[in-house]
Amino acid sequence: MPDELPDLTPEMKAAIGKPGASVTYEVTTLGIRTFGRAVGYKNPIYFDAAASKAAGHKDLLAPPGYFGMPVFNPNATTGPRADFESPFKRNLNGGTEVSPMEQVYAGDVLEAVTTLVDLKLDRGRLGQMLIRTSETVYTRKADGKVVAKTRGTGLSY
Amino acid sequence: MAQTFWDDVSEGQEITLTEPTSSQRLVIWAAASGDFYQIHYDDNFAKGNNLPDIIVHGALKGMLVGRLLDEFVGDKGWIENWGVSYRGMDKAREDMTIWGKVTKKYQEGGKNLVDLDVGVRQVNGTETTPGRATVSLPKK
Repeated sequence: MPDELPDLTPEMKAAIGKPGASVTYEVTTLGIRTFGRAVGYKNPIYFDAAASKAAGHKDLLAPPGYFGMPVFNPNATTGPRADFESPFKRNLNGGTEVSPMEQVYAGDVLEAVTTLVDLKLDRGRLGQMLIRTSETVYTRKADGKVVAKTRGTGLSY
Repeated sequence: MAQTFWDDVSEGQEITLTEPTSSQRLVIWAAASGDFYQIHYDDNFAKGNNLPDIIVHGALKGMLVGRLLDEFVGDKGWIENWGVSYRGMDKAREDMTIWGKVTKKYQEGGKNLVDLDVGVRQVNGTETTPGRATVSLPKK
């Protein structure tokens, strides 16, 4: 069990509201089709560019909630968020909220900026937990449009 | 795909999908999402972490709810937002029911909107992933 924290540390408090580094996401035809296959979509507009175009889209359409994959860097030494040291090393995904704002297509390159909007200590059946709420804004590089906002809750214990 | 019109939706209406959760599907999701945590596909690793079996990725459940909504709104509708909380683990290799229930139908800001409660139920009826959504639909 990690040490009990009586309160958020000054580093934790300072991290709230501070946007993280921008992360580049690439939306590819392979990525869209793999996502569509995993989630079980049957609509051909998510698999066949010709079907997407026939439905009025400019290219292969991404299903809602798909924003591509971050460009993998094998030499990265830290994760995208290392604003503070946490004594809680185990993590659970607590929840997801998605607000789609624009269609996303194969070939789009998105810049994602995540901001820690809330951080609090709580206690659950796993003991003391750190609950992080983050908001990510995805912006398409080509036209500067915000295509979606997501909110995620992470539980560390 | 069939188009749902706002006019035809009624409060209390339910929509569902029943989905298998094979290990193969979880591996495809790992590739699609980049989440390669072994508790989702490696039996020995999962059991070594005190889990009864490999478990379904939370984010996959969230996106299955997204698919349920996408198929409900059709090509001419739009998902305004949806959100779920991951309150319980779902063992893999069991079917899950992805569900939505219309709670409110209204017009606002020039849009024809529908609010829904959504979630994911296990075979035994346990709800593990409750949430809410708002969608807009075309009018006839």
